[in-house]
Amino acid sequence: MKVAFISDIHSNIEALKAVLDAIDQEDISLIINLGDLVGYNASPVECVDLVQGRQIISIQGNHDRAATEMKYAESFNILAYQAMKWSANKLAPAHKRFLKKLEHTRVIWDRYLVFHGAPGNPDAYLFYLFQAKKAFNYMRKRTVGVRIGFFGHTHKRAVWQRDVRGKVSSLKISEENILLDPEQMYLINPGSVGQPREHNWKASYLIFSNEPEMIQFKSVSYDLHSAQARIRNAKLPEYLAERLETGV
Amino acid sequence: MKDYKKECKLKDGSIVLLRPLVAEDKEALINFFQSLPEDLRLYLRHDVTDVQIIESWTKNIDYSRAFPIIALDGERIVGDVSLHRIPYGWKHHIGTVRVAVDPKYHHKGLGTLLIHEIVELAAEFGLEKLWAELPLDFPEALSVFRKAGFSSKAVIEGLVKDLHGRSTDVIIMVCDIGTQYGF
Repeated sequence: MKVAFISDIHSNIEALKAVLDAIDQEDISLIINLGDLVGYNASPVECVDLVQGRQIISIQGNHDRAATEMKYAESFNILAYQAMKWSANKLAPAHKRFLKKLEHTRVIWDRYLVFHGAPGNPDAYLFYLFQAKKAFNYMRKRTVGVRIGFFGHTHKRAVWQRDVRGKVSSLKISEENILLDPEQMYLINPGSVGQPREHNWKASYLIFSNEPEMIQFKSVSYDLHSAQARIRNAKLPEYLAERLETGV
Repeated sequence: MKDYKKECKLKDGSIVLLRPLVAEDKEALINFFQSLPEDLRLYLRHDVTDVQIIESWTKNIDYSRAFPIIALDGERIVGDVSLHRIPYGWKHHIGTVRVAVDPKYHHKGLGTLLIHEIVELAAEFGLEKLWAELPLDFPEALSVFRKAGFSSKAVIEGLVKDLHGRSTDVIIMVCDIGTQYGF
């Protein structure tokens, strides 16, 4: 069975449609969205409608939570806050109810942990080795038997592995197939659909196969200029349009 | 930019409004800097009592080089913080922070709030580290930066001279942005 993981769509409908079109070309059984469906970009309504319509399993990100209650956006910087205020005004009560009901951490099929930032905390990031070690320890204590966690939030593709001796390291990212060792634990980030931050503007996603366990990072072009035009038309901060092109 | 507002509550329950500095803020910024006591102005990089300097700042705002945020109590500026970036070279991933707060707003958490805002903004801009230089004999400022996630990296004795020509030790403080959001 193959599962597609998408994350950090951030109201970029052009990127989301391009990724779903690419996913539809493969034999995918399930699509899982690792959170932050809204925020930053200018198509929150379209993105929520599409994800709901496609029966995509979704996890709540910190921006999704903030869209339902602005008090959660108070810690956002002034640009992200502005975009969130705009999104919250655009979303209908039904969209907000959908976002509010999402869980921020979930175990799928008793085997895979899915979360947005860090397990149990959608605001925290897994950037560094010490953070990955803490996440692996969380999995070993709280979700016994779960070897693989999928997360988002950083907008950067990543694979952390923990070997049987407890040594944690990161793997080099490529778009080749990566075979997962059944003896090891993994934390995997598919990168961002709607606002990649790897100096590459293309929308990122990940295909996971379970027999044998294997992952493949993928990226796809989308109508960047249309996404930028929407941001400018909505009078959202110009930086949010510029960064889509530079992948910052 | 003037519409990009964020209300924040201080430790004493009072509310300030944060927003980016815009050209129309010239008069309010002049008043703010002229109201700062000399012992605070001693440590600023520019002679902020010079109206032409403030005019030049507000007239030539380039948010991609220096992003200034002001804190307003009503129409009055009570704090100013800015994130300075270098677009190229070996320091392109480092931002520099400069901050000034009205003494009436000291001990209310405004300084920490403003620096936190810059840390968040720096993360948004993809910066990895923030750098601040402070006089060593200004413990309140050091404490504010520590609370916002900075740690002391070096002290350089007698490096700078204040407006009266007195030598002052400088402390270099750095914030590793990625570790601020750790799990």
